[in-house]
Amino acid sequence: MKLKYLLLIILIGSMLSSTAQKFITKTGFIEINSKTPVYTIKGTNNKVASILDAEIGEIFASTLIRSFQFQEALVEERLNENYMEPDKYPNSTFQGKITDYKKINFSKDGSYDIMIEGKLTIHGVTNYIKERGKLNIKNGIITTNTEFIISLKAFEIKIEDAYQLDDVLLRIRFNYQLYSI
Amino acid sequence: MKGGLKIFLIILAVFLIAGSSSIYYIFNKPHRNIDLETPAYTIDAKSLFNEFNNDETLANLTYVDQVVQVSGIIAELFIDEHQISIVLNDQIKGVSCELDSLTIDRNKTIIKSLRIGDQITLKGKCDGFDMIMGVVLTRCFIIQ
Repeated sequence: MKLKYLLLIILIGSMLSSTAQKFITKTGFIEINSKTPVYTIKGTNNKVASILDAEIGEIFASTLIRSFQFQEALVEERLNENYMEPDKYPNSTFQGKITDYKKINFSKDGSYDIMIEGKLTIHGVTNYIKERGKLNIKNGIITTNTEFIISLKAFEIKIEDAYQLDDVLLRIRFNYQLYSI
Repeated sequence: MKGGLKIFLIILAVFLIAGSSSIYYIFNKPHRNIDLETPAYTIDAKSLFNEFNNDETLANLTYVDQVVQVSGIIAELFIDEHQISIVLNDQIKGVSCELDSLTIDRNKTIIKSLRIGDQITLKGKCDGFDMIMGVVLTRCFIIQ
């Protein structure tokens, strides 16, 4: 809990002290897709928050596991109440950066292919990821899109049952706006 | 012989029906209907935020996965083709609510007229507390 407040204070503090451009979203979107022998499991989450610090290319993102909604109610129940152990690990976070952020001109409309890398924490387990993405700037809104596969085993998420789930495709989209308090 | 076969067939039929209904249930279990649920708690947005801010563990035990009816002033309004999100009380110290698609369909006129500063009451499922978003509610329905 203390770490959280420290992080928030640092974020707000650095915001007040510099003319740096920080962008925020509270309505990021993550879609989970997985094909199982029986059928495709699909879930979405519209309550994903992220802050992008354009000056140093850093990204922080967080979401609550319980905010994922699945087409099948039973899938949602099993995932949320059992396998993801949301009581122990209610959040999922990402702390990282855009590797090649220096090539981006955030004050002009444009389209870029980017590399995003950092620490992804799900179910209390942190793994380092490095994935491709796209970044678009239009009318002051920064949109990032990325798509990659994660292994549930890598995050110690054990799915028993006939689902035989391991690889999960994540599709992530953020629409950032300039952060002004 | 005939009697035994008949009984066997009846038992087989019962198993098949039972089996197929449970398969049907697995694939078609109805979602929890937040719309029809009575809220476990009715509270104002500022107080709800403060409870999580002061003691997140206790607030999690109390509110998470419960239907909460929350009222407050609209501090932020976000509308796009995928979702509508309303933040109550304050941009940083707030309650972030995602509207359920059913309520969006039913209340198109009301939603168009929503403005920052309006008083509103929503009912939704509490997912927990996030550093950036504050208290998070999903599957929200507009009450007032």
